[in-house]
Amino acid sequence: MTAAYDVVSWDDLERFPVDDEGLTWRPVRRHFDIRAFGANAYSADEAGGRVVEEHSESQNHHEELYVVARGRATFSVADEEVDAPVGTLVFVRPGTRRGAVAAEPNTLVLALGGRVGHAFEPSGWEIPFAAYGYRRNGEPERGRRVLEEAVERDPAVWQAHYHLACFDALEGRRDSALERLAHAIELEPEAARWAAEDSDFDAVRDDPRFPTPES
Amino acid sequence: VSDAGFTVSSLDEIGHSGARNEWIPIRRHLDIRAFGVNAWTGDDGANLIGDHNETPTGHEELYVVIAGSARFTVAGDEFDAPTGTIVFVRDPDAQRGAQATADGTTILTAGAKPGEAFEVNPWEQNSEIFPLFEQGEYAEAKRRLEVALAEYPGNANFLYNLACAEAQLGEHEAALEHLAAAVEGNPSFAEYAQEDEDLSSIREHPAFPVAPAHA
Repeated sequence: MTAAYDVVSWDDLERFPVDDEGLTWRPVRRHFDIRAFGANAYSADEAGGRVVEEHSESQNHHEELYVVARGRATFSVADEEVDAPVGTLVFVRPGTRRGAVAAEPNTLVLALGGRVGHAFEPSGWEIPFAAYGYRRNGEPERGRRVLEEAVERDPAVWQAHYHLACFDALEGRRDSALERLAHAIELEPEAARWAAEDSDFDAVRDDPRFPTPES
Repeated sequence: VSDAGFTVSSLDEIGHSGARNEWIPIRRHLDIRAFGVNAWTGDDGANLIGDHNETPTGHEELYVVIAGSARFTVAGDEFDAPTGTIVFVRDPDAQRGAQATADGTTILTAGAKPGEAFEVNPWEQNSEIFPLFEQGEYAEAKRRLEVALAEYPGNANFLYNLACAEAQLGEHEAALEHLAAAVEGNPSFAEYAQEDEDLSSIREHPAFPVAPAHA
């Protein structure tokens, strides 16, 4: 039975490092299994660390509301720079480029999102973000489980096979990596183009079985 | 609202709605269409989240204590919620409420119904009507209610309040007509109307609705 409610402190949310710019994803929607809207937090321990990655929501078409909950951030939205102390609300429509970096240590930004006129569906990026987050945190097996569970839920989703192939390649499992990658490409031929430029596959790229976008 | 695809504001800038001292109407101010989002602010002892459930809307609701601290009651459980606490109530039937336990407390709320595209709830407009009644600005209340009814035709709450405004303005026939329509949409208004001072001027009229117990 699922509890009627859950409580957590934003300090106790999981911390998933996302990139080399200090962006740390604090998964709110995933923590609670929220099904009605997107909700996440992003934090940076140091000033200059990224708190909203550069993107435009051109694929998810989400309206997004960013709330500076702690510290201070500098947003770049549609080429405009916005100083954003605590309490600032930045509402961005889909298709508009946006990003933010912390202007003070210990900054946290909440992000809420959804697509106008459509029932919410959890974004596909959460799965690889969690998987690679665990990996960066030194828990690769936990990350692998996230991807394996995604395959169990829906074997037709190519991204989970693709990222499992990445994990295999990074861990020296050459045969498994190439098999999984081939399967991902069967499901989505465009995956071959991604693999050609993905450094995760550097260890297996010299293998004659490694696919090329042309093949 | 910016044409540039984004809008920047702040909790302080949106300020209090005037309708209810504690309401910061974020969704309405930014014209967010994909999910519900508001904030509630007040000092120690303020009833920030009135005791309610989300049974009528089916919403999942997220509450984030942005500043100060609050005491929540959810599904019969009471707990303290300092700054940074995130409360997710997934069961729409769960009764919930929160009181500020420190001055300057702010709670951000977000909500929507899983599996359905978000629709704006008329309560936001209705909340702006009450202070107009308190200030005796019945003509302005009537004007806004007519605008609201153009957007939400047949809404029983708006019809009832329109009847009240018209009764106060001496427009008795219109008031009786709209009151009858409100009761048709929501029979509980018949009982409510018996004690409502705004309707005193038409209560003795033969067309005034009869309380359910006496019907």
